[in-house]
Amino acid sequence: MNKTWDFHGGVHPQQNKAQSNQLPIVAMPPPPQLIVPLNQHIGKVARAIVKVGDYVLKGQLIASAQGFVSTNIHAPSSGHVSALEEHVLPHQSALYGPCIIINTDGKDQWVELNPTHNPKALSKPELLNIIQAAGIAGMGGAGFPSAVKLQPKDSIHTLIINAAECEPYITSDDRLMREYGDEIIKGIQLLQQLLEQPKCLIGIEDNKPEAIAELSEAAAQHADIEVCVIPTKYPSGGEKQLIEVLTGRQVPHGGIPANIGILCHNVGTVKAIFDAVVLGQPLIKRITTVTGKTALNAGNYEVLLGTPVADVLAFAKVDLAQTSRLVMGGPMMGFTIQDTQIPIVKSSNCLLAAADLELAPVADHHACIRCGQCEVVCPAELLPQQLFWFAKAEEFEKAQDHNLSDCIECGACAWVCPSKIPLVQYYRYAKGRVKTQNHEAQLAEHARLRFETREQRLVDEKLAKEEKRKARATAAAAVQAAKRAANPTAEDPIAAALARVNKQKQERQTNSTEKSPEQEYKALKTAAAITRTKLNKTRQALVSAQAQDHEQTVSLQATVIELTTKAEVAQAELQAYEVKLGHDPELEKSLQISVAKANAGLRKLQKSLATAEDPQQVEADIVKATTAHEAAIRALEHQQANPTEKTIPAQES
Amino acid sequence: MEILYLAVVILALLALVFGAILGFAAIRFKVDGDPIVDQIDNLLPQTQCGQCGHPGCRPYAEAIANGEAINRCPPGGESTIKNLADLLDLEVIPLDAEHGSEAIRTIAYIREDECIGCTKCIQACPVDAILGAAKQMHTVIVDECTGCDLCVEPCPVDCIDMLPVQVTPASWHWQQPKQLIASSSSPHEHGATEDE
Repeated sequence: MNKTWDFHGGVHPQQNKAQSNQLPIVAMPPPPQLIVPLNQHIGKVARAIVKVGDYVLKGQLIASAQGFVSTNIHAPSSGHVSALEEHVLPHQSALYGPCIIINTDGKDQWVELNPTHNPKALSKPELLNIIQAAGIAGMGGAGFPSAVKLQPKDSIHTLIINAAECEPYITSDDRLMREYGDEIIKGIQLLQQLLEQPKCLIGIEDNKPEAIAELSEAAAQHADIEVCVIPTKYPSGGEKQLIEVLTGRQVPHGGIPANIGILCHNVGTVKAIFDAVVLGQPLIKRITTVTGKTALNAGNYEVLLGTPVADVLAFAKVDLAQTSRLVMGGPMMGFTIQDTQIPIVKSSNCLLAAADLELAPVADHHACIRCGQCEVVCPAELLPQQLFWFAKAEEFEKAQDHNLSDCIECGACAWVCPSKIPLVQYYRYAKGRVKTQNHEAQLAEHARLRFETREQRLVDEKLAKEEKRKARATAAAAVQAAKRAANPTAEDPIAAALARVNKQKQERQTNSTEKSPEQEYKALKTAAAITRTKLNKTRQALVSAQAQDHEQTVSLQATVIELTTKAEVAQAELQAYEVKLGHDPELEKSLQISVAKANAGLRKLQKSLATAEDPQQVEADIVKATTAHEAAIRALEHQQANPTEKTIPAQES
Repeated sequence: MEILYLAVVILALLALVFGAILGFAAIRFKVDGDPIVDQIDNLLPQTQCGQCGHPGCRPYAEAIANGEAINRCPPGGESTIKNLADLLDLEVIPLDAEHGSEAIRTIAYIREDECIGCTKCIQACPVDAILGAAKQMHTVIVDECTGCDLCVEPCPVDCIDMLPVQVTPASWHWQQPKQLIASSSSPHEHGATEDE
């Protein structure tokens, strides 16, 4: 006999198993309608491969697994697919999920099966393929795909079969073991074959003597399969607790049993594996306990997956009028259901129809009195009270620091709580919030990555564009250079054009500078004259207008003022220009005077010639005067032509 | 006198040695960038919606590091403000209504019949969550959408809806249990505790 250990805490609630474990399992006939959810397991939702109107046979694949952690789903009975629609799921949330609805035809006709007559000859991959194809998920409650669990990374030295069935009321595994002992042992042998022959321990609580006897007998010839009877204590059927009880070892925090070389499977799963391998039947049915005070035919029923709960309850003659609370699962870990149209799925082990006061009422709870009872019973050795305070104060980080994730939600703490605090709901709430927060953090990280990638891409695109533009520019320059090289005499047209333009500009500039003194002086003079003339004209017009008392007087006056200013400006400009040029009005005047003097002197001499005593002397004087006159004129002309030069006035002779 | 010189020399040598060690450490353990900005950025929801007035979450993180108010992120809401206050040792303040109010998470959906394929929403999307090409129908990759709203404005035919994210059995979680009866605390006790 294998030595057993004990685990911390645990409680001893009323067993209440006798109501349902007395009678043999009754197979329930196919209901008129089956509701088969596409997600009956942990992992990705399977994908429907049938259409509305398709005829399906019992055991036919109707939805295929998506990805590694997922399972196939088969038609539980023959009939027509009437809908693929969202339906209420057997889930705490009572939310809708995708389901295949099959209207059964009552023939319950099997698809062609592939039984294996000599399973020992199967190779490991073949075995694994069969289990995978049969869509087997853990039937103890969690619904983890069995094929995934059977491919551990670590080598397995101990296979543990969980037959503890520690939760009150539930007897489906008990009845299964009593009636299918041989099949279970054969299923275990298949698992051993798949896992390099590990030692197998079957953990059964001592409240199931018939099952222990049956299995012990079946396992008698097998040295490597041992039936271990363990004391009845809730929750010894928890995976980690059972491992500790049977091996004395603890699964590390955050780890899985495979990390310490142990694999744990539910006894129902083992039976399903036997059915799949030896009989070739996929997982389409399970044994569900229907119990509670209002269930008149309490017992265990072999139910097709997808059977609505309402049909099962009717078959077990549950008096719904007297039922105060309907629970799926056991009283400790199950959840209350409102809608009886939800279907039985791979992990539905019990339907509990409780009468008034049979279960502790969901009452208002009182304040925590810090009695510490919860810590005493916690099988995971946590501090439930601390976790409760943290969950209540929404301090989820602290709750995580107190190993919230190790809570198995067994409900032992809530069961002993004198204040009736729904502790498990607080932990579930905290776990849910932590999960949501982690998910959001992941989404945020993902979004950041995508945002940064996009920013980088935009920058890169810009740079690439710039690079392209530069490349095009250099290419064009190269083409130009090649052209020039091919024809060196040819002028660069752009350079030539530029040169022409520059030349013209220069010419214009030089012309303007050369002409400026004369032309500008002239232009200024003209402008001044024009303004003066205009001013005079306008003045005259104004005078006449004033005389006639014309209405234009005002505007004319304004014009006069304007023109006066303009004339003054023009005059000032002219004078300024004259000053700038060094024009000397005095000098010109003196030159003019000298010319006039010379002229006068000449005339006098010409007159005196007639009366002269010495005509020769006079004639000589006339020639002299003429020369002086001409010189004076030249000087004046020169001064007028070149106002900037200071012509020295001819000396008066 | 010799002792004095000796002391000065020893102290000078020590100063040199420790100076060298400090200099080496400054180079060897140099911290690139501003780690506080990264920490703040990690707390922001990364919707890149710009409701805070900055062109993305990181610029807002930089602004917070430079002293801007921590209550301008409506998608993050109260929990982000609380986390930021914890990180920066600041007071928890209510969300600045000027920058929007905390709303349930939404996802953009394009009414595909009405889409004219203008690509304007694709250009507006900060996380490349919209798929499509010119004159082809566009669609939102739901898993990538952050619900930032930025695609709604540019759409010339108003065919983008912001729909609340559906709760699925996978995303659902338990609510906090209802009130205690024999306690003096108010019905909003958990909110009050949060503010403490």
